[in-house]
Amino acid sequence: MAFDWRTHKDTVPPQHAVGAGTADRGDASTGAAPDSRVNLDYGLLATWMGFADVQRRTLEAIQGELSRTSDHVEDATLDLSGRFRELAESALDQSRRVEEIVAMAGSVAIDGERVPLDELVTHMQDMIAEMISNIVQLSMRAMSMVYLLDDVQKDVSELEKSIGDIDAINRQTNFLALNATIEASRAGEAGRTFAVVAQEVRHLSRTTSELADRMRSKVTAVVKGVRHGHDILRDIANTDMSPQMLAKERVDKTMESLVQQTAHFQAVLETAATSSSDMSQTIGHMVTRMQFQDLTKQRLEAVNDSLSIIAAGLEDLENRTRDGMPAHHLDAPIPQEWLNNLLERFKLSEMRQRFVRKLLLEGSALDEHGALDVGVPTDESPSDDIELF
Amino acid sequence: MDYAIEAKDHESIVRLRGRLTFNDHAKLRTLITEMQGSKGKRQILDLGNLEFVDSAGIGMLLIAHEEMGNADKQLVLRGAAGQVKRVLSVAQLGKIVTVED
Repeated sequence: MAFDWRTHKDTVPPQHAVGAGTADRGDASTGAAPDSRVNLDYGLLATWMGFADVQRRTLEAIQGELSRTSDHVEDATLDLSGRFRELAESALDQSRRVEEIVAMAGSVAIDGERVPLDELVTHMQDMIAEMISNIVQLSMRAMSMVYLLDDVQKDVSELEKSIGDIDAINRQTNFLALNATIEASRAGEAGRTFAVVAQEVRHLSRTTSELADRMRSKVTAVVKGVRHGHDILRDIANTDMSPQMLAKERVDKTMESLVQQTAHFQAVLETAATSSSDMSQTIGHMVTRMQFQDLTKQRLEAVNDSLSIIAAGLEDLENRTRDGMPAHHLDAPIPQEWLNNLLERFKLSEMRQRFVRKLLLEGSALDEHGALDVGVPTDESPSDDIELF
Repeated sequence: MDYAIEAKDHESIVRLRGRLTFNDHAKLRTLITEMQGSKGKRQILDLGNLEFVDSAGIGMLLIAHEEMGNADKQLVLRGAAGQVKRVLSVAQLGKIVTVED
C-alpha cells in the first residue's frame, strides 16, 4: 500500500523531515529553522497518532474477525461431527442389517426350522427322483396288467364259445329225447317206462339250457366288465408320463441356478456389509480428525492475544504522545482518501461494513460505505456462508 | 415301432426303429417271446434308431428285463440317444437294467 494520504505534503519539504537533518546541518544557531522544525514535527506526529488510532481500530477489527471466524469454524465443526456420528451409526446399523440378511439368505424357514438351501434342493431332487421311480414302477405294473387282461379277454371269449357249445349239445339232447318219446309211444305198453325216462331227459335238457342261459348272462356281464376295465387300463397306460419325467431336468437346472444365485447374493451382501463397516470406521476417523478445530481455535486465540498486546502497546504510545503534545495539534486529520481506497479493496461486503463501523464510527466516511443505510448482518445470517465461498 | 433281430450263438442284437409307445404293446410281447426262445444269453436292445419312448415303453422295457431274468438271460439297453437317452437317465433305469452307450 504505497498510497500517500497526507493532505499537507506541500508544506513538508523532504529535506525538513523529522530528525533527518539535525546532525549534518551546521546552521542550528540561526534560530528561525528550529522553530519551523518543531511545528513540522507536531503536524507529523499528529498524523502519526491518527494513523495509530486507525491501526489500533484495525487490530481490534481483525481480532473481532478472528474470533468470529473461530466461532464459525467451531459451530460448523460441531455440527459436522454430530452429522458424521449419525452417519457412522447409520452405516453400522446398515452393516448389521446386511449381516442379518446374509445369515438368512442361505436358508429357508420350514415349519419354524431353518433348512440350508442346498440341503433343501438335494431333498427336493430326491423327492422328484422317487416320484419318477414310482411312475416307472406304475408304468411297468400297468403294462403287466394290460398283458394280463389281454389274456383274460382271450379266456373269456373261450368261455363264451364253450357256453355256445353247451347250447348245441343241449339242443341235440332235447331232439334225441323227443325222438325217444315218439319211439316209446309207438312201442305201447312196453315203452311206457322208457317214455318216462325220455321225459326226464327232456326235463334235464331244459334245466341245462336254463343254466347255460344264466351262465351266458353272467359271463356276458364279466366280459363287459373285463373289457371296460381293459379300456380304462389302456387309457391309464397310454397316458404318457415321459414329459413329466423330463421336467426333472428343468427342475434340476432351476434349483442349481437358484443355489448359485443365492450364493452370489450372499457374496455381494457380505461385501456390502464389509463396506458399511469400513464406512463406519472411516467416518469415525473423520470425527477424530475434526478435532483439528480445537487446535485452530487455540492458535487463533494466541494470535488474538498477540494482537491485543500490540494494540495495548499502540494505545500506550498514543496516550504518552498525546500527553506530550500541545492541545491545538491534537486534531489530526482523518486519512479519508487512503481509508476509502483501503476499504474499497475489501471483497466481503459484510466484513467491509464491520470494518467501516470499527474504523470510522465517528467519521464522515460512514455514508459513503453504506454502513448507516445497510443494517449490519447478524452472525447467523445465511448470506454469510454463501458470500464466503 | 419296428424291429430286426440278429441272433448269434451267445447273444442276440435287436435293433428298434421309430417310436416305442403303448400302441406297440402287442408287438413287444411277441418280441419278448422271440427273445426268450433265442439261444443267446445276452439279449441286446439297440436303441440307436429309436426316436421316442413314452412311459408305457419304459414299463415294457422293464417287463422285458423281468422276463429275461425269468428265462435266465440278461437284457442290455444299448446306444440310446436324444429323448430316449434323457428319459432313461431321468428314470434312472441304469439302476435296474444294464445300460450301455
